[in-house]
Amino acid sequence: MQARDLAVPFPAVALDSNALEAAQLMAERKLPGIVVCHGDGSPHTILPGSQVLRFVIPRYVQDDEALARVIDEQTADEMFGSLAGKSVRDLLPEDESELPVAKGEDTVMEVAALMARAHSPLVAVVEDGRLLGCVTVARLLERYLPVA
Amino acid sequence: MAVVAVVIFVAAYVLIVTERIHRVAAALGGAGIMMAAGVVGAEDAFFSEETGVDWNVIFLLLGMMIIVGVLRETGVFEFLAISAAKRAKGKPFRVMVTFVLLTAFASALLDNVTTVLLIAPVTLLVCLRLGVPPVPFLIAEVLASNIGGAATLIGDPPNIIIASRGDLSFNDFLFNMGPIVLLLLIVYLGLCRFLFRKAFLYDVEKVAAVMRLNEKEAIENRPLLIKAGGVLVLVTIGFVLHSTLHTEVSVVALLGAGLLVAIANLSPKEYLREVEWNTLVFFAGLFIMVGALIKVGVIGSLSKLVTEVTGGNLLLASILILLVSGVLSGIVDNIPYVATMAPLVADLADDAGNPGNVLWWALALGADLGGNATMVGAAANVVVVGIAEKNGYKISFLEFFKYGGLVALVTILLCVPYLWLRYFVFA
Repeated sequence: MQARDLAVPFPAVALDSNALEAAQLMAERKLPGIVVCHGDGSPHTILPGSQVLRFVIPRYVQDDEALARVIDEQTADEMFGSLAGKSVRDLLPEDESELPVAKGEDTVMEVAALMARAHSPLVAVVEDGRLLGCVTVARLLERYLPVA
Repeated sequence: MAVVAVVIFVAAYVLIVTERIHRVAAALGGAGIMMAAGVVGAEDAFFSEETGVDWNVIFLLLGMMIIVGVLRETGVFEFLAISAAKRAKGKPFRVMVTFVLLTAFASALLDNVTTVLLIAPVTLLVCLRLGVPPVPFLIAEVLASNIGGAATLIGDPPNIIIASRGDLSFNDFLFNMGPIVLLLLIVYLGLCRFLFRKAFLYDVEKVAAVMRLNEKEAIENRPLLIKAGGVLVLVTIGFVLHSTLHTEVSVVALLGAGLLVAIANLSPKEYLREVEWNTLVFFAGLFIMVGALIKVGVIGSLSKLVTEVTGGNLLLASILILLVSGVLSGIVDNIPYVATMAPLVADLADDAGNPGNVLWWALALGADLGGNATMVGAAANVVVVGIAEKNGYKISFLEFFKYGGLVALVTILLCVPYLWLRYFVFA
């Protein structure tokens, strides 16, 4: 089995898309992340949901558990409001690590290793420079741990 | 051998100051070369009270780091800071005053780095809720931490070294450093009103956002808070009574840490989280290097030189130590500075006398307060600048110096009449 066999169609957004809309898309479709593409449709990277949280939740709250407990609902809502007016590009980490992008002919183990290395819940699968779909961690686990 | 020791020491010191290599590597490397060159042996480095590693300092720091590590898990600091901000009704200057006082008093009981690590996140939260710039508050707190830490033996690492070298008790520090630190804090609060006046923007609507924070939620594990708070109280009582009980402060701290570990029901990973092994190893390396200078007689010669320069005039020597320490501690980290100066001051005290231990207080005040001058003067300053940067607020060297330099100058100059009046005029 190869990456293309496990890939499923997946929504993608552009680097300059609205960050709030991208996050809302993740929420509505219950996606663990979303594919971010260049203007020509080729995948740039994966934006995992945890990266959205890293942008929204201030660093000082991430570093201090006790502070996370004292913040009220209204303040939390205001923090998520910080996505307004931002682009998807703003949410991406500054230090670009390995892109979780696989080729169609990659083996399932190659995809699994890439996913583990990149700490990404998704791997984009590309064929002939276009996005074929994504392999999710759930699809991958299903392949190795089929329900009896 | 003296020349070899000085060359190795200066080379390691330059590496520490310039940060060309990590300071732990420089101190440990310097210590290793001192031993390899035969300047000191294992007996001198590990077992000699005069020239070896000062285990009292190392284990006092270790014990306190463990206690602080457990205390940090309780969320009590966040609780206190948010309560204080709410009692100040969100008025920015009042918030700054409460945070400055909280930091200063906490720094007297805990080490400065830990204190600013605890206060900085909650400061960012409160300031951003209030819509005021957080940088002036962060700078105000770290300066207060260096002032407050000067009050006690355990408040600032230089004090721990001085106490050990000068055989000074917790109460000696409290009674000699405490009064001037209290006075300096009052003056400092006045300076804050002037220095940070542009940061005190008041917006009623934004105050409501602070009043909505639920500080009670910060404390998740009440039994742990009771245990850690109880042990901290016992340890503080132990510090106050240690000379009466003929026990070293390091033993008190270790007993407290041991008791807390036994009753806290935490894993080693949790209670050792705050232990800065880097700092402990750095201290050990420094002690061996300075011990080598003592053994070859360099420190003794320098102290004789200082005695000659001052003509045996103790007032002049005290003021000189205060001012030189103040200036140098702003340029280099005050820990290696005091580790080097302490044996020199000890020799000077033996040669020329030391009424009321004035030379030690001059060294402590100069080193602790001088550390405020620049962002590299004290470890806590570096930590706060780092936290600010991680959260998107850049504090430049000059911006820090603009506030820290003035505060260091004013506080050190105020110490001159204090030393003169207390130890010479009304001695």
